[in-house]
Amino acid sequence: MKKILALALAAAMSLSLAACGSGDKSNGKDSSASNPGSASNPGSSVSTPEDNKPSLKVGAIYINSQNDTSGYTFQHHNGITTAMKALGMDPAELIIVDGVPDGDDTAVATAIDTVVNQGADIVFGISFGYLNAMEQKAADYPDVIFSHGTGYKSNDTNFNNYFGRIYQARYLAGIAAGMKTLELENNNIGYVAAYNLDYAETCSGINAFALGAQSVNPDAVVHVNVINAWGDETLERQAAQALIDTYGCCVISQHCDSAQPQLVAQENGVFGCGYNSDMTEQAPNGHLTAAVWHWNVYYQTALEAAIACNGDATKFVENMNGPAYYAGLKENFVDVSPLSSNCAPNTQAVIDAVRELIVSGEWDVFSGVKLSYNISEDGKVEIVRTDADLVDNQGNVIVAAGGPSVEDSVITGGMDYNVAGVEEG
Amino acid sequence: MKNRQPLFHVVKRENASLGRQAAAYFAAVVLALAVGAVLLAVQGVEPLTFYRQMFTMGIPGSRYPWRAVENFIRLFVPLLIVSLALALAFKMRFWNIGGEGQFIMGAFWAAVAGMQLGESLPKPLMLLVMALCGALGGGLYGVFVAALKVKWGTNETLLTLMLNYIALYFLQFFAETKGEWNFFLDPESARPRFARFPDSAQMMTIPIGPFNLNLSLVVALVLCILIFIYLSYTKRGYEIAVVGDSPNTARYAGMRVGRIVIRTIFLSAALIGMAGAFHVSSAGVMSASPTNDVGWTGIVVAWLAKLNTAGIVVASLLITVLQYGCQTASTTYPAIDSNFASLLQGVILFIVLAADFFTRFRLAVRTGKEGTK
Repeated sequence: MKKILALALAAAMSLSLAACGSGDKSNGKDSSASNPGSASNPGSSVSTPEDNKPSLKVGAIYINSQNDTSGYTFQHHNGITTAMKALGMDPAELIIVDGVPDGDDTAVATAIDTVVNQGADIVFGISFGYLNAMEQKAADYPDVIFSHGTGYKSNDTNFNNYFGRIYQARYLAGIAAGMKTLELENNNIGYVAAYNLDYAETCSGINAFALGAQSVNPDAVVHVNVINAWGDETLERQAAQALIDTYGCCVISQHCDSAQPQLVAQENGVFGCGYNSDMTEQAPNGHLTAAVWHWNVYYQTALEAAIACNGDATKFVENMNGPAYYAGLKENFVDVSPLSSNCAPNTQAVIDAVRELIVSGEWDVFSGVKLSYNISEDGKVEIVRTDADLVDNQGNVIVAAGGPSVEDSVITGGMDYNVAGVEEG
Repeated sequence: MKNRQPLFHVVKRENASLGRQAAAYFAAVVLALAVGAVLLAVQGVEPLTFYRQMFTMGIPGSRYPWRAVENFIRLFVPLLIVSLALALAFKMRFWNIGGEGQFIMGAFWAAVAGMQLGESLPKPLMLLVMALCGALGGGLYGVFVAALKVKWGTNETLLTLMLNYIALYFLQFFAETKGEWNFFLDPESARPRFARFPDSAQMMTIPIGPFNLNLSLVVALVLCILIFIYLSYTKRGYEIAVVGDSPNTARYAGMRVGRIVIRTIFLSAALIGMAGAFHVSSAGVMSASPTNDVGWTGIVVAWLAKLNTAGIVVASLLITVLQYGCQTASTTYPAIDSNFASLLQGVILFIVLAADFFTRFRLAVRTGKEGTK
């Protein structure tokens, strides 16, 4: 027994020594720790070329568990660790406080302090509600970088926010759905939505999906069923089933956490478009394609910018080319998952053509120009652009025919309407 | 068959000495940590390192050690005051499980004062007004239930429980509804977002070097002493104990039980409301769910301490170390997430409560003779 105890103690001591060793690298010998300036100085360690590994310490504040295997926190955790690996950093060194509730400012502020105290040089906060605390702490710790997902606050030195043009991926998924409605000769599409007009994020997704479907099938109607929760497997199931039973929908799209709507579609012998991750695995006979995020694209960009700061956190926003990162298909930040064999013929060709058009920057979803397609016998796709009003489902003109795309701020914050062809109920 | 007896039955111990209790508690904590160590080892985490980080709360060698202490105090003060206040009610056998709701109401009314009067009053006065508004808000929310109980004998457990949710959703309504009338929110934000309090409504701190001592800690410790004196040396404090033991005895002795209940519950809920006021003022901003579950944890603390004031100080200190330390220690272990940290806390609390049970009761095992006839 004594031996085991001695062994355990020895192991503990060696481990703690190792931990202290790595922890003290950035802290130096500041035993008094009274000089905040000395705390984050990765620059000095970067310049010692003993290894190529960046010495940047990364911290993250999560809303759910870091050990989740699906869902929002999982997507971000996966993105951060993937980016760290790509940059030669060890994901095990990621400093995490998870399970931080979105509505408790003291809890968020405490979590940020903890992560910074453990030595983080850059802190990612993934939930919208971290807004106030992130802003406050960015001012408290000018030598630490703060990066806030889905938020809109920033400063011009060490605090930015990030989000993506997921609507572009939704448009592509809408094309796949529209092609399927033509094949099945059924114009009814269902959409299980967490919320609709309450959030620009949700209604812009619904609108983009509907516009994509209408570019293929102008008669397509998107029936929206709102469940008032970001994730609730039972409600998601019921909502999808109701859409199929009530409107005879032949494609079910979704903006909610789980793959339940896709499973329901498959059980009913109809089809669906997932969200967040490729759901073909869950519903191999029903799923067409999903609008997906590649969060690692942002995290890698941000980490590279942070490393390039060389210890001066105030350069971060400059290195990111601005306080708000808002990338899309072009940067491969969002995309559709590989099309399944359930998709109608020629879907891939149309999607590829539209993707190319969006990536080129010549056209965007919410503009006064509508797309339609001529598909030749051998599967070649020609995109036809027609000037047409962008109209909401109350008949108001949002963008006049030929007009440019709406402002980004509308897509991220101001949008509170559904386009024509969307019906909630 | 009819005479079959249970394998054992529970027998009350007549005289559990203080030393024996202390030994049992200590043994329980050690046992709990040992169970936790096994769980940690299964996850591939070195238990001793983890515990060292947990009990030091990551303070040694951190960048801003004083910030960790400040945060610790910010978590400790509300728990301490709420536990004290709940113990007052529990002593009278009034099952106030509405700490959450009273805390939220205290925070809410303190925030109303802070947002509306913040600019016009000097800081000390402003903080006093916020504390009073919080106390009044929480106190009235609690005394409502006490009045119903005194008047019609309603069940306070159910009522205080349900009022928790009413308070929570009441606050969430203000958190999520934009409108010109809603002075809580930042007018410049497109989406609902709480605005920070004006400067004078932020909690006062006493700077000691880089460390800022939160004034509410001083107030909380003074409250501990006052409540200890109130309970031990005043007539009103004595009345609480008598009503708790037997309302009929109290009545026979000429005490006005209804009035005592209402007075005590108002005091209890007002203290909780004041804790809410201190909490939001220390945070400097309102939150949609500001309680950190103190209304629930406070119940555990009060009972762990057997409603004893000094015990409450110790128990709330330990629980805060457990909560805050777990969070700090788990940051660097991919295997340890917040769920595991909660599990560990649960195991420790459970074993300590079990030890408490065994200091007061023992299991008498069936001898076998009387069972077989």
